[in-house]
Amino acid sequence: MAASELARKGPKLVKPILSIDHGEARRRVLNLYKTWYRQIPYIVLDFDIPKNIEQCRAKLREEFRKNAHVKDVRVIDMLVIKGQMELKETVHGWKTKGHVMTFFKDTQEPKPEGFLAKFISGTN
Amino acid sequence: MLRVPLSKALPNAVKAVCSPKRGSTTLAKAPEKIEVFIDDKSVMVEPGTTVLQAAAMVGVEIPRFCYHERLAVAGNCRMCLVEVEKSPKPVAACAMPVMKGWRIKTNSDMTKKAREGVMEFLLVNHPLDCPICDQGGECDLQDQSMAFGSDRSRFTDIQFSGKRAVEDKDVGPLIKTVMTRCIHCTRCIRFASEVAGIDDLGTTGRGSDMQIGTYVEKFFLSELSGNVIDLCPVGALTSKPYAFTARPWETRKTESVDVLDAVGSNIIVSTRTGEVMRILPRLNEEVNEEWLSDKARFSYDGLKRQRLITPMLKGPEGELLPVEWEDALSFASKAIRDAGSEIGVIAGGQADAEALIALKDLINKLGSELVCTERAFPDDGAGTDLRSSYLLNSKITGIEEADVVLLIGTNPRFEAPLVNSRIRKAWVHNELEVGLIGPCVNLTYSFDHLGEDPNVIEEVLSGKHPFAKKLLNAKKPLIILGSQQLERNDGVAILSKVQQMAKHLSSKIGSEWKVLNILQQVASQVAALDLGYKAGVESLKECPPKVLFLLGADECAITRDDLPQSTTVIYLGSHGDNGASMADIVLPAAAYTEKQATYVNTEGRAQQTLVAVTPPGMAREDWKIIRAISEVVGKKLPYDTLNEIRGRLEQVSPNLTRYGEAEEANFYDQAVELSKEACNKLDCEPLEVKYKDLEDYYMTDPISRASTTMAKCVQAVRKQKESKYYDSGTA
Repeated sequence: MAASELARKGPKLVKPILSIDHGEARRRVLNLYKTWYRQIPYIVLDFDIPKNIEQCRAKLREEFRKNAHVKDVRVIDMLVIKGQMELKETVHGWKTKGHVMTFFKDTQEPKPEGFLAKFISGTN
Repeated sequence: MLRVPLSKALPNAVKAVCSPKRGSTTLAKAPEKIEVFIDDKSVMVEPGTTVLQAAAMVGVEIPRFCYHERLAVAGNCRMCLVEVEKSPKPVAACAMPVMKGWRIKTNSDMTKKAREGVMEFLLVNHPLDCPICDQGGECDLQDQSMAFGSDRSRFTDIQFSGKRAVEDKDVGPLIKTVMTRCIHCTRCIRFASEVAGIDDLGTTGRGSDMQIGTYVEKFFLSELSGNVIDLCPVGALTSKPYAFTARPWETRKTESVDVLDAVGSNIIVSTRTGEVMRILPRLNEEVNEEWLSDKARFSYDGLKRQRLITPMLKGPEGELLPVEWEDALSFASKAIRDAGSEIGVIAGGQADAEALIALKDLINKLGSELVCTERAFPDDGAGTDLRSSYLLNSKITGIEEADVVLLIGTNPRFEAPLVNSRIRKAWVHNELEVGLIGPCVNLTYSFDHLGEDPNVIEEVLSGKHPFAKKLLNAKKPLIILGSQQLERNDGVAILSKVQQMAKHLSSKIGSEWKVLNILQQVASQVAALDLGYKAGVESLKECPPKVLFLLGADECAITRDDLPQSTTVIYLGSHGDNGASMADIVLPAAAYTEKQATYVNTEGRAQQTLVAVTPPGMAREDWKIIRAISEVVGKKLPYDTLNEIRGRLEQVSPNLTRYGEAEEANFYDQAVELSKEACNKLDCEPLEVKYKDLEDYYMTDPISRASTTMAKCVQAVRKQKESKYYDSGTA
């Protein structure tokens, strides 16, 4: 009994992915954000997308804000790595125009919400 | 009229002829269980049990072709031969009663050899057309030849004389015959004469010249004829509409319930590629056993024709124009909002309980109480407040126990074929006496015809009529009153008299036995009355509402002439029938194979259909359309999902969600007392029934009216009537 109590109370040590504390994770996020921010003018130019720099920066902010609620350092690290991968694919031109445009989801129709909308679309 | 085959009617006499000594001694003894051994497993059975039944008790299934539990034993296919120890020859298990201490071997070499021999004989004259045979995949002969047949053929037709070939018969638009495939099990003959009560089928010739047929050139027409397709162990009798359309292994089976009559037969809907391929019966001993009526089985092609697939609005020249759901909903809602509380509903015969409750809730929210069903029911006395006055209280299985049945103003043969087959079953096996007040129709069994005049009811009640004595002396009498009589002007008087008669009889018996039974004609009526619908459209005729909502109402209870020009008619239903043609706004709904919905049969048994295919085009489930309208009108109903609306059903009437159970009704005495206060004058107009003849039976509702198969059946009956072999007494 005492042992299990101790085990529950004891500090939870987990293996870090990259950062050892919240401060470091935050620094990595900001770094990634800045890199993207600086890259955006080139992306608009290279991919010839029908968006201007402001719209792309708004989208960038939106994508980062989407994960604002994440508190777990390891999850933040994981998201940063994913963000870096996306950036690398974009910078090296492994993505095409279409891939970049999927950030904006222009062609995706929102799913019907509520009984009436679902009824009319025939999905309920 | 002899009710059963000779061997069954006179078991003791036949026994006495065969073995006079044994017959007399065993009869005297009380039945004492005897021990037999099946494959060295001991089992105690009643004397008279057959070898096949005894084997079934220990879980050994003996192969058979001709034997069927619900039919008399024929014993002519010889497939069930088994070895009995110390017996020189194998015995036919289906016909042989066991003797004390018998050791039966169902897997010995002798048994196996006997089976192999029988299989070989059957296959000698069976065509090798399995690849084009509709029975393929569900063929007993195919399965059993794989399991018990020889692994090689000795059939070498060195003279090239060919196999036995038999000319096909034309027995009507429902059953396709390939008589060469027939193995002469005689199940169809026994079904026709015992269950359907039509002695049309029989055999001619002997040996390899034997043929099954109708003797003369005529159709095999009965309201139960489709069941011989299920009974046929080979592909000799197959379904004509289903011919070459699908294989059993490629269809999806959905368990469902039939809604074309008030019996609520359990069915299996086979579907493929989003289409209903066929409908088969599902075993339910309490409702339909394993039979199915022809309308339920074959009218599925009506689900594909005359369907409403898009919402429609009446155009400037009176024609209906297809529109989108948004427009239809907004037009319907505008009409409803403008009408205020002047709105009424007529619910038709196939409306499900979910749609009924949603519509009733909506109308009540709008401040109206004009929710009616198409079929009338007397309002005086207890009216529809007490369930016992509108249910088949003794249940369908109760008919089997009855000893006297009095049918009043009903033709159960066409109103509820499977109720009629139960009555016939009791008549055959239980010495049932039947009396009929109403038009003298052919019920497939003999009955006392007491007359057509409703005053005969009074005579029977007062005990003046000779049949009254039979009823009074009966231990388990039943009175079955057709719901159609309650639509008459003197409906209340008829109901009251019948209730009094039932009370008088049940007080004499003094047990729990229920005497009073009402036979409904449509699937929705009991649920509608349970939910508090008003029966009959009189109140709508008196003060026509500004908006009339037809929930699948196609029987023309109210026509356009009964309504002022300004009334908007909204029709919600699956088929373009009478209701849609008089409507200003048409909303396409799902048919019974396309929705999960609750139906209550005439016994008060709640059952549900399941979704077998999706509704066609823009059609939606009925209750969802009503729910959508309610939101646009601004009186949102508080349920979005099926579970929520079923919760609401349960609030109103808890029996509606207890699926499979028939809820008992009560307060018989109170119903009698209340009805005594109402008008008690019987008219002298004779009782009338709607469906008198087989041709009236086939097309009775929007689905069967849209069915070509059913139309062909009507045509066939008419053609049969012109035939020189037609006899109106037996048809």
